[in-house]
Amino acid sequence: MEQVKCFIPETLEEALRIRKETGATVLAGGSDLMVANSMGAGVTPAFRNDVMIIAGLKELKGIRTLPDGSVEIGAGTTSAEIAASPLVPELLREAASRMGAIALRNSATIGGNIGNASPKGDMPQPLILMDAEVVLTSADGERRMLVDDYIIASKKTALHDDELITKVIIPKQDFTHIFYRKVGMRRANAISKLTLSAAATIRDGVVVDFRASSGAAGPKVARSRKAEELLIGKKTSELHICKEEFLDAWNAVISPHAMPEYRRNTTRRMLAFFIDALEAGHAPGRVDISE
Amino acid sequence: MYTEVRFTLNGEQKLYRGDPLRRLIDVLREDYGLTGSKEGCGEGECGACSIIKDSELVTSCILPVGAVNGCALTTIEGIRDTEKGRCIIDAYAEGGAVQCGFCIPGMVMATYVLLSKNPDPTEEEIRVGISGNICRCTGYDLIVECIKLAAKKGAALWNR
Repeated sequence: MEQVKCFIPETLEEALRIRKETGATVLAGGSDLMVANSMGAGVTPAFRNDVMIIAGLKELKGIRTLPDGSVEIGAGTTSAEIAASPLVPELLREAASRMGAIALRNSATIGGNIGNASPKGDMPQPLILMDAEVVLTSADGERRMLVDDYIIASKKTALHDDELITKVIIPKQDFTHIFYRKVGMRRANAISKLTLSAAATIRDGVVVDFRASSGAAGPKVARSRKAEELLIGKKTSELHICKEEFLDAWNAVISPHAMPEYRRNTTRRMLAFFIDALEAGHAPGRVDISE
Repeated sequence: MYTEVRFTLNGEQKLYRGDPLRRLIDVLREDYGLTGSKEGCGEGECGACSIIKDSELVTSCILPVGAVNGCALTTIEGIRDTEKGRCIIDAYAEGGAVQCGFCIPGMVMATYVLLSKNPDPTEEEIRVGISGNICRCTGYDLIVECIKLAAKKGAALWNR
């Protein structure tokens, strides 16, 4: 096999030029690509295309709050940095903190987790709930789109051959109640079997916002604004009336392939638990199953 | 492909010339003779190849050497003769943390990072600290006890 080229740009500008000229596969942390292309111990991983390593690009690092209250995360920011940042909304911090284990979280990046577009990827799930956007940059300019639109299907994204994911932007969140659960084989180093985020904003006993997103329950993260609208505008004291209709609507949007009964039942029970907690007047903050 | 990658390795400046897509574990073991880091799973999940990159624990089997350009790397060989390294190694020996030993270099590196950041960890924090390091012999309990011992005996070192 002919050896592929590997580029290590020192600036974003150089990276964008290389990407435009070569369309090289972009490698940041390596935690997905080095495993996917591994040839075993002592052998250089066999990539099919040229590779560009962007691990060292400072322009892609860091987390900051923008003037409008949204949070901007550089695509090269690691899971560990996201999990530790008080600027990051709790749902995303929680998802980031449960990826792999410490060493992996020090390598894996948010850009890579979105770009890999695995249905089991941990960070896209809360990002889609929060209407987060990716910024896609090329030598010719940039565009923004919802993470939900960027990930088209399993391993399929809207990225063009000359583009890089450079930033993730999360709109300001004002949820009063959140729920996050990752189901895996063990607490560390577990690929998600199923994940669920849910969030609500309750004001004066009325549900003014309600959202959910299901990971590892179909070819991409599932969210249904139509189902969410069944609960929005309702009094919390009357949630039991529309709960079953909502749960049925949510069940219709997830499409788990393996162990579908387990994934459907567990998703239903978690959502019911969250909705019941809202009706029961749970104090603002995180609603946790272990309570 | 032939590229230059510069980094410091156990305090020494290194200039690597070669394929930047080679796995760091292979470069450490084959080019620099640092065979303390072990390869278990080769997928970043067992922790046997753990090293320290810029003060943080990473698994060297999933990092291409081209990704550590400009970084400071420390392997088990770089800490074994330091006071902190000896503190951990002595505690592991004293408390009987080691059976076959294959996971131990990675376990020691994880312990080093844990105690450097958190000199007096709770048992839960210790278990989280080594949660990416898999041991198939001990059942972990003696390793956890030995980390407590290292924290206690080396309190002056870790709080420095």
